[in-house]
Amino acid sequence: MSFILEIFLYLATGGFYWWWTQNISFFGLAPNFIFAAALCSAILAGPIKAITWGFFLGLYADMLGSSLFGGYALAYTLMAYGVYVMKRHFDLDSPFSQLVAGLTLSWMCMLFYQVLSFSFSRINPVSLKIFLAEPFLNALAVPVVFQVFYRFKRRFDIL
Amino acid sequence: MAHTARIAVSYSFYPSLHYGAKYGHFVRNVPANFLALLETDQENRVLKDKVRALEIQLQNAAAVVAESDRLAREMRLSSGLPWTGSWARIVNKTPADWYGSFFIDKGSAEGINVNDTVLGMQGERAGLAGRVLEVYPEFSKVLLLTNSAASSVCAIEPSGFEALVEGRGTWRLKVNYVPEESALAEGAELTTSPSGLLFPPGIYVGKVTKVYARESFMNFMTADVAPAVDVNTLKEVFVLKRSLPENLAGQVEKK
Repeated sequence: MSFILEIFLYLATGGFYWWWTQNISFFGLAPNFIFAAALCSAILAGPIKAITWGFFLGLYADMLGSSLFGGYALAYTLMAYGVYVMKRHFDLDSPFSQLVAGLTLSWMCMLFYQVLSFSFSRINPVSLKIFLAEPFLNALAVPVVFQVFYRFKRRFDIL
Repeated sequence: MAHTARIAVSYSFYPSLHYGAKYGHFVRNVPANFLALLETDQENRVLKDKVRALEIQLQNAAAVVAESDRLAREMRLSSGLPWTGSWARIVNKTPADWYGSFFIDKGSAEGINVNDTVLGMQGERAGLAGRVLEVYPEFSKVLLLTNSAASSVCAIEPSGFEALVEGRGTWRLKVNYVPEESALAEGAELTTSPSGLLFPPGIYVGKVTKVYARESFMNFMTADVAPAVDVNTLKEVFVLKRSLPENLAGQVEKK
C-alpha cells in the first residue's frame, strides 16, 4: 500500500510542477518543485529510498527538457547522497536550514548540470535568468514541500 | 542509448501530461466559452464573407500555381513543396528549458513526424519556431530555434546572402558566417533559405537587432537576431508536414 502511495506522491509532484509551470509561471520563472521534492525526500527518507526518489524525480525533469538526458537524474541522485551525509552533521528540520540548503543546493545542482552538459553535448542549458532567480524560488518552495511530505510520512508511513 | 532511455521514460510519464493538459484546458475554459460562443457567432459571419472572397482568390492562385509548375518543369527548376499541416496547442513549457523545448498536444496519431517544421504566429505573420524533436502517439516535443543545439540556414533579405542562424539558449539568436560584402544592417529580415534541408524556404526567422564588426582574425561578421516568434507569448503552433526523402525524415514512431 505504501509503495502505491509513494508512486502516487511521485506522480502528483510531477503533475503539480507541470500544472504550476503551465498556469502560474511568470516570464518563464517558477519554483522547481521536482528539485524541492528531491531535497525534501532526501531529508526525510533513509539513504536508499532518498537516492531512489532523487533518481526518479531527476528522470522526470530530464523527460521535460531537451538537454542532456540523465543529467538531472545524476545530479539529484548525488544530491540525495550529499544530503544523507550532511544531515548527520546539520539540523535540516528547521525551515531556515531547509531554505539555506535549498538555495545552495539549487546552485550546486545547476552548476553540476551545466558542467555535465558542456562536457557531453557542448550546449548551455541553463540561462542566466534561471540561474539567478530560480534558486530563491526553490528555497522558498522547499519548506512548504517539506511540510507536505512530512505530513504524508507521518500519516501514511511512506518515505 | 540515451535516446532510447529518453523515449522509454517519456512513454511512462506522458499520460500525466496528456490527460492533465486535456482536462485542465477544458475546465479552465468553461466560463470563457460562454462568452466565446456569442463572439464566435459574430465572427463566423465575418469569416464566411472572407472565405467567399478567398475562394475566388484560390481559384485564381490555382491557375498561377499550375502555370508556375509547368514553367518550372519546362525550365527544369526545382519547385517548392506545398505547405500542409495542423495546429497544435502547447501543453508544457519547462522553466529550466524555457528557450529550449516544449511539448505540443499532437503526436504520431495526428501524422506528426520527427523534423516537421513548427511555425508560430506573431501578430498576423507566421514565423519559424523550431522543429519536432521527439514524437509520441498523442504528443510531441518541439526543439526551439532558440535552443543552443538548434540552427538554420537563412537568407538575408533583400540581398539573398546566406548565413547560419544559431540558438543560444536565450531570447536572442545569433547569425554567423555572414559575408562581409553582404552589407548586413540592423532591421534586415532573415528567412529560411532554399539550400537548407530541414526547413521549407521563405519562412520568416527573425530581424537583425545588432551587427558586430568583423574581427581582424575572421572572414565573417556576426549579428544578434530577434526571433520571429516570442516563446513567452506562444500558445499554439502550426506543424508543417513535408515529404522529405526517407534518409532525412528521421525515425518516425509507428503506432
